[in-house]
Amino acid sequence: MISDDNKVIKEFTSSEYKEGFVTDVEQEYVPKGLNEDIIRMISARKQEPQWMLDFRLDAFRRWQKMPMPTWGHLDLPKIDFQDIIYYAAPKKDADRPKEIDPELEKTFEKLGIPINERKALAGVVAVDAVFDSVSVATTFRKTLEEKGIIFCSFSEAVREHPDLVRKYLATVVPVGDNFYAALNSAVFSDGSFCYIPKGVRCPMELSSYFRINASGTGQFERTLIVADEDSYVSYMEGCTAPMRDENQLHAAVVEIIVEKGADVKYSTVQNWYPGDAQGRGGILNLVTKRGICKGEGSHLSWTQVETGSAITWKYPSTILKGDYSSSEFYSVAVTNNYQQADTGTKMIHIGKGTKSRIVSKGISAGHSQNSYRGLVMMNPGADGARNFSQCDSLLIGDRCGAHTFPDIRNSNPTATVEHEATTSKISEEQLFYCNQRGIEGEDAVALIVGGYAREVLAMLPMEFAVEARKLLSVSLEGSVG
Amino acid sequence: MAKTELLYILRPGDSFQPLTVNAGAGEEYSVTFLILPGADVSVSIAADLTGAGANVRINGLYICGASERVEIKTNIRHLVPGTSSNQIVNGVAGGQARAFFDGRIIVAQDAQKTEAYQTNHNILLTEGAKVETKPQLEIYADDVKCSHGATIGRLDEQEQFYMRSRGIPEDEAKFLQLISFLSPVLEDVPEGRKEELAALVEASLRSVL
Repeated sequence: MISDDNKVIKEFTSSEYKEGFVTDVEQEYVPKGLNEDIIRMISARKQEPQWMLDFRLDAFRRWQKMPMPTWGHLDLPKIDFQDIIYYAAPKKDADRPKEIDPELEKTFEKLGIPINERKALAGVVAVDAVFDSVSVATTFRKTLEEKGIIFCSFSEAVREHPDLVRKYLATVVPVGDNFYAALNSAVFSDGSFCYIPKGVRCPMELSSYFRINASGTGQFERTLIVADEDSYVSYMEGCTAPMRDENQLHAAVVEIIVEKGADVKYSTVQNWYPGDAQGRGGILNLVTKRGICKGEGSHLSWTQVETGSAITWKYPSTILKGDYSSSEFYSVAVTNNYQQADTGTKMIHIGKGTKSRIVSKGISAGHSQNSYRGLVMMNPGADGARNFSQCDSLLIGDRCGAHTFPDIRNSNPTATVEHEATTSKISEEQLFYCNQRGIEGEDAVALIVGGYAREVLAMLPMEFAVEARKLLSVSLEGSVG
Repeated sequence: MAKTELLYILRPGDSFQPLTVNAGAGEEYSVTFLILPGADVSVSIAADLTGAGANVRINGLYICGASERVEIKTNIRHLVPGTSSNQIVNGVAGGQARAFFDGRIIVAQDAQKTEAYQTNHNILLTEGAKVETKPQLEIYADDVKCSHGATIGRLDEQEQFYMRSRGIPEDEAKFLQLISFLSPVLEDVPEGRKEELAALVEASLRSVL
């Protein structure tokens, strides 16, 4: 009986990474390495104004003085920052080709990302597709423009909406915030920019899709979302990369500004290449995501499904500055084989009556290590603020680890913080119960894991939820043991 | 079954020598500490559970009402299969007091059938008081039951209203709430000393209210 279960669990957690192909397009690169000349070169190639170049150089100078952070519960391989190509773009007109290369279109089609509007589901999702260092297409821009919504690549925003970019850039994640954010500020290539004007409800889901293709490169995208007063937007992000034996670096920065009464929902399905069963290769996903609920009654919700990457170091955070603003963080993080994840959130309560909720579900299998790390801070002015955190870990197999590192600080007697965490495994009883009712092996594990993660999956937009559910069961294939 | 009971009452001026416990097969340890008002103290307890059936309990409370600085650190390591631990640390911070709790449970690889629980509840009485808590779980085995819970909050206003509407004065109502908040810590104290300790806690609470 037990050995049967082991077999079932093994089968369940060993599956293929189906996005691991490479697209054969001609690409152009800047030379390998990192110095001020490289940064000038990237900036020149993107035809950036002087202020943008100054911003990058300032960040680079700060980054050079910063030590690499080592506090994560991670066994990080040594990263040689001089051995990375910081800019790679498919050839043709470097920045935004008039016509999309059919190869690229095919790539995104294969990934299930509609960058051709005719083929997309009628008006449901607008996509900004980023291939290595450049954005190759942004769909439904016309439709969005009619409402005054700006949704374009970051490079375009720098050229066409410099006032907005300058006003908000690095206001939530300052240039010198941390090692990887400083690196990103120096070399960031592309990403999405999104502005929702006052009182506008974005009529469709906005989505960015990030694809790493070139070998020996890193991806450093930057996303800036601004929701003006009383607006609403739901934003989704997805990512994949080819299978390679080398580790590739992905250091992104996402900044979200939520003005008075606005509502932003940010969802991520992270499926970077996780490395093979022996732990070779995979993406090092070291990102900084932060939002600020600036005005009264604003709301920001983070939902993430993390299944990919060899190493994940990611803490989407919210600064609750406006009175009565609120934020949620829903997360499912799955690690298998030799993957390592150190992920969680920060909720910084500043305003009166602010509320936050954290639901984190970690699932570890194989030889993986999965940690939740979080900070909840009630500042002296956060009268009547509340937080509730629930962090559960599920262990599949006896060679993996599940860890919880919350940090809770309260200096306001009217604020309340509650945290609880549990650790458990899929029990033989649960599997037996399913088997008895004709649900066998992998299906039983999928069912149990699905039920365990349901609370979080239910928060995803519909288009993502189906995908996420599939990913969950694929990521765990072969882990049951 | 060897059972060792340790009791520490920490008053102003007292210090705490870091305690290390090694619980072998079948051994039971129960460590109780009471940090009384005015004590600036750092309590550090490390326990290794190295034999099947070992059990470690930690019961702690702190009561601060002035400008104390209290640090509590626990590190419980389950190194072999079939061991258990239970930690409960509750405290009350008033005045300008600072309280820190850093509690860690480690379950080593192959230390199956471990049961480890930890709770840390804190009450802030005043605007100047500050509490930080870091409950941590590090788990490398799958067949385990582990949980932790931590809260930082205030006294329930509805309970207060209920008592006051029945003629109980405000301070007395708060006192009763705090007694019931701290009493779980005293459930496992050495035989015969319960009443004495309860009286000590009551007197201390009165002094900070």
